[in-house]
Amino acid sequence: MAVLEEKAGTVSRRGFLKAISLAGLGLAVPIQWAGSTRRAAAEGRLDPLRHVLSRLTWGARPADLEQIRAMGIEGYLDWQLQPEAIPDPTIAQLLQDVPVLSASYREAQRQEAEDWQLGYTLMWTRLYRAVHSERQLFERAVEFWTDHFNVPIGDSAAEKLIDDREVIRKHAFGQFRSLLFASAQSPAMLYYLNNASSDKEHPNENYAREVMELHTLGVAGGYTEQDVKELARILTGWTARNGTFYFDPEMHDYGEKTLLGRTFPSGRGIEEGLEALDMLATHPSTAQFIATKLCRHFVSDSPPPSLVASTAQAFSATDGDLRAVLRHIFTSAEFMESGGQKLRRPLEYVAAVMRTTQLEVVEDYWLLLSALEQLGHLPFGWKPPNGYPDVAAAWLNTNNMLMRWKIAFALPIISMGWVDGMYTPLDSLVSRSDTAADLVDAASAAVLPALSLDPQDRAQLISFVADTADQRLRPHERRDKLPALAALLISSPYFQWC
Amino acid sequence: MKTVNVNLRTPSRRQALGMFGALSVVGLSKALFPSWMPRLAFRRSGAPGDVLVAIFLRGGMDGLNVVVPYAEGAAYYDARPTLAIPEPSRDPLSAIDLNGFFGLHPALRPLKPIYEAGNLAIVHACGSPDPTRSHFDAMEFMERGTPGAKSTRNGWISRHLESAAWQNDSPFRAVGIGTMLPTSLQGGVSALALKSIAEFHLGGREDQLEAMRSALASLYTYEAGSGAASEQLAAHAKDTFAVMDMLASLNAERYVPAHGAQYPDSEFGKGLQQIALLIKAGLGLEVACIDLGGWDTHEEQGGAEGHQAELLAELAEGLGAFYADLRDHMANVSVVAMSEFGRRVAENGSKGTDHGHGNAMFVLGGGVIGGVYADWRGLQPEALDDGDLPITTDYRDVLASVLALRVLNPALEHVFPAYAPKLLPIVRPR
Repeated sequence: MAVLEEKAGTVSRRGFLKAISLAGLGLAVPIQWAGSTRRAAAEGRLDPLRHVLSRLTWGARPADLEQIRAMGIEGYLDWQLQPEAIPDPTIAQLLQDVPVLSASYREAQRQEAEDWQLGYTLMWTRLYRAVHSERQLFERAVEFWTDHFNVPIGDSAAEKLIDDREVIRKHAFGQFRSLLFASAQSPAMLYYLNNASSDKEHPNENYAREVMELHTLGVAGGYTEQDVKELARILTGWTARNGTFYFDPEMHDYGEKTLLGRTFPSGRGIEEGLEALDMLATHPSTAQFIATKLCRHFVSDSPPPSLVASTAQAFSATDGDLRAVLRHIFTSAEFMESGGQKLRRPLEYVAAVMRTTQLEVVEDYWLLLSALEQLGHLPFGWKPPNGYPDVAAAWLNTNNMLMRWKIAFALPIISMGWVDGMYTPLDSLVSRSDTAADLVDAASAAVLPALSLDPQDRAQLISFVADTADQRLRPHERRDKLPALAALLISSPYFQWC
Repeated sequence: MKTVNVNLRTPSRRQALGMFGALSVVGLSKALFPSWMPRLAFRRSGAPGDVLVAIFLRGGMDGLNVVVPYAEGAAYYDARPTLAIPEPSRDPLSAIDLNGFFGLHPALRPLKPIYEAGNLAIVHACGSPDPTRSHFDAMEFMERGTPGAKSTRNGWISRHLESAAWQNDSPFRAVGIGTMLPTSLQGGVSALALKSIAEFHLGGREDQLEAMRSALASLYTYEAGSGAASEQLAAHAKDTFAVMDMLASLNAERYVPAHGAQYPDSEFGKGLQQIALLIKAGLGLEVACIDLGGWDTHEEQGGAEGHQAELLAELAEGLGAFYADLRDHMANVSVVAMSEFGRRVAENGSKGTDHGHGNAMFVLGGGVIGGVYADWRGLQPEALDDGDLPITTDYRDVLASVLALRVLNPALEHVFPAYAPKLLPIVRPR
């Protein structure tokens, strides 16, 4: 190793710094969580109705429990798998109140330039839909595909709006191939991963690499560095104009290419890109990769290989019918045995807090979005193309723990009416109670439906409320203790897992 | 369900500024220790060596425009018609000469005095030997310290802490700045994720806080054998309580950097400042990790000015402030900065660069032997690795040198299994 001598240097100038701090790209290794979770809590987690609700919704409320009891598990699942048949008046009202969500690209772009609120609107409505939509499973699927085809809100929130609406939401319950094609032709994606500027002289490999590594085959899916270069050439000319996809023959490389062993003869234009994407969509590695990710998201950080295999089979057999694949997962024995094995990610946690406490936010979502940012899970805020991490190990840390508690500990203050624009009708959500023990049981039934507290934990909470379990509470004592009790239940380990 | 009346025009940011800190009617109550929590009785200075600060520059930094081999002439300049950094001259937008061959990007000006003081070593054509050009694989390999081996379950820093001979049960032993722990810190040794020291406390109603804290602590107390997941959660909860109480005494919001140091007003700048604060506080910090992302410059990378220049300015201003702030402590601090891979020698059609291989790596500290170190083979096409800068120094040699000679790790074979690192003369033995 040569050590080079140092000489005097020249003065320089610094570029103007505007802090753009990007989220870390750190991706965690899944920890091998033990099958069973917590002492007696397992009893509640094994309640199959609760388990299904905890994975199909953004937080089970007592009303959801009643619904699934009435419909049965399969009935509830099939109902949720047909979101177009589920009336959703709250979201219909939202779409009426926030017309930009339905606007054309041009109109959205005009509004964005006018008041720069569009990015904020996308973020808070993401949370709002998760909490308030009756189409809960659809919103969970949207979350999964949002991460899978991750595009952060970048330079253009208008492009992101269109991507969210016309790619993710349009196809989240459709065919994987359609979803992939829509994403590949989405201006937001084309700009984000630079395919928009890729031309025959200097192909840009960014999208070509990630579409194989992250969207279809997976990194071990059997492609080479040469395949990355060839696919980049195949996709030259796939660009955008005025907010829509555009194939530019001037930029396209019409030469011969070879992708994954197949020869693409010279002289072809956009059709060879479509053929390449079709190859990727139907490749066995893609079925395996998507199955693995879906099972990791909806079942367990380390999903049973038997389930991944059968899910991949279901994916291939249905030509990537995403509803059928989800139905396969949720009706599997492996799924039913996975109770309590997933940690709620921060967005799921915050949404569950909101659903549980019927938190009403008037006008201003900055406080909640700021909390999500501090939890590391701002909607559409993940900068690298792989999407937010999906395993507990990535989220379990001191910072996350504290922030979860902080949010819960704010509830007593919110319920006193001390936070402008945030309200929770906690008292009306928890049924009548006479004694301290009654209050703990009633609060627990409201916050953690169908889950029984460990006797020791129950005793601890009772002693928080009063000196003895049978002590009768005066109205002001209930008013005083209930919000704190709800905060403790929400801060507790019971509420973190699902 | 009620419909929320949304007013798009006036989202007040007022409350967001203070976040949930704003909600705390009390700041902090005095330490209220749950019964299971021992008083702070860890050994604070168990570690005999330097504090290690590991910076990860995520996205694949274009090292050829950071430590510029301007003396390569046409081999460098022809490959980068729009991006190249001009060779050193009076122009403030030209490279800052280091040794007649390499020059620093002009935005790295704050590093020049550190280099001149002999406290900055740069190792070029360096990196992780695995050929992957995937960000995610390359980062995982680099952070686990086992390029090519996907089965490794823990990070190199975690294994370093595991193998150290000394005792240090401070919860501040290993800290990752940010909302998530980096892979390098994941493993058997618990590490803290810390985003903001000043806000690391619970809010809530003052009159109920003490009782709520005790009840919360008891809810996170488990019997042994209650399952790995529960025990993990309980361990994090316990750390969170301990850390809250200890940070309460630091008055972090009143911290004033020494010697007029001015950190950039960014996440990265604030993070470095928090590391400096922890080092000075003597809380037993041995390793801190911090990220600076945004280096994936496929498009509009910029040359002497532009996107990458802004990132470099943030990096250099942050390190410059850190160095000034910790002046008296730098004899016991080693900073390493790395990125998962470098970028292609030739620019692409989008005024950017695609994923490459070899890169520049930085080591900064009082124990550093300054200079540019490289087994440099040139940029002629035949010297390249499929169009990329070849890796002639394994990044593990750099890390191992710092660990063995400065941090005094006694068991490199545990940190970098199945690899025999070569110790490089880039640091002085302590």
